[in-house]
Amino acid sequence: MNDGAPTDVDVVARVLGGDGEAFGILIRRYEPGLLRFATRMLGNSDAAADAVAESLVRAYRHLAQCRDPAHLRSWLYRITGNRCRSHLARRRTSDISLSDAPPLADATDTWGILERGEQVALVERALAALPAEKREAFVLKHVEGMSYEEMAAATGARIPTLKMRVHRAREALLAALEELV
Amino acid sequence: MMAMSPIDPQLQDVLDGERDPATLSPDQREAYARLITAAESLQQAPRLSVADRVMAAIRAMPPVPSREPASRRLWRWLARPRAVTVRLRPAWTLALAAALGAVVLLPSEPSGPGTSFPIPGDREGVAQFVGHFPGARSVEVVGSFNDWSRGMLSLRDDNGDGIWHGAAVLPAGQHEYMFVVDGERWVADPLAGRYVDDGFGIGRENSVLIVRPSRGAVTSDGAGESR
Repeated sequence: MNDGAPTDVDVVARVLGGDGEAFGILIRRYEPGLLRFATRMLGNSDAAADAVAESLVRAYRHLAQCRDPAHLRSWLYRITGNRCRSHLARRRTSDISLSDAPPLADATDTWGILERGEQVALVERALAALPAEKREAFVLKHVEGMSYEEMAAATGARIPTLKMRVHRAREALLAALEELV
Repeated sequence: MMAMSPIDPQLQDVLDGERDPATLSPDQREAYARLITAAESLQQAPRLSVADRVMAAIRAMPPVPSREPASRRLWRWLARPRAVTVRLRPAWTLALAAALGAVVLLPSEPSGPGTSFPIPGDREGVAQFVGHFPGARSVEVVGSFNDWSRGMLSLRDDNGDGIWHGAAVLPAGQHEYMFVVDGERWVADPLAGRYVDDGFGIGRENSVLIVRPSRGAVTSDGAGESR
């Protein structure tokens, strides 16, 4: 995976050594995933961009406090998840998806014939209906592809707790998808 | 509202990567496929970028705190006037108290011929850090007073009894700190008396130290209480 690219540890050392521009390497490396994560959490791309930008600036400012640069990814997701929770706390859950989510698929459609855009909208809508902590657990596990160990580092929750959240999220999501289609 | 029905534990195991999907029944496979498809549909990253915005903000900010070379920071630390007072942690047996007793009894001002304690700054104090880390190879203190930088304040365990200690001149006021053991394990001071969230929202806490301004004699204490 490395392909000669500097490791996170190397880049963090460069930034802390005075090469602030090296932080751009970390942005390019993690921005897509962080934006995807924040968008799934907030259901709104503008809010997600704000949350990720704030998180990255905060990460830069407090980079010396990153206790384990080898696990920088989890640290960045933790900061971003925190920013997302702050955003969510400032507005009602019901506001999250309805303004942004594309309209529901027609009730006569079936799963198999939904176009991809409609399918994504359907899933997004079902995801947005989940409580934030279950949504976070599902996204980290199944969208960001994290192990439970990484999720624990990114959220601070214990692994059994995370497993339970993911399991409940799957059940709720499956039920929501069946109901929506 | 949706009616939530439990998913078979076997299916949960498969989705957790702990079981082969081939072991699922046809119904379970359908549910499995539906969830995997749903997750995959969410994996496309939004076509957004905040890179320019973030880098512009970073360029407008003061340098990250640890940009100052360690050698310069060390020199600044060494060159700063200081006085010696200790901060004792009384919980570790009489042996610890005895080990530190000599330090405790050090005068905070010059008391005889040849004694040359530097005069502390009016707004500085000296804190002594003590930690019990048997078997540790190194123990450092990082905190808000040294921008959480390692390599600035190392503790010593000269007699190998697992009790590490060291002192630092600190500006008066409240500081947050942590011990870094063996260069990788961050540990809060169990005897700090006060803790604050580390700001990253997952329940980790930094230890708090309050250093009072010096007026000839310095007092520094943990969480506002002399030890």
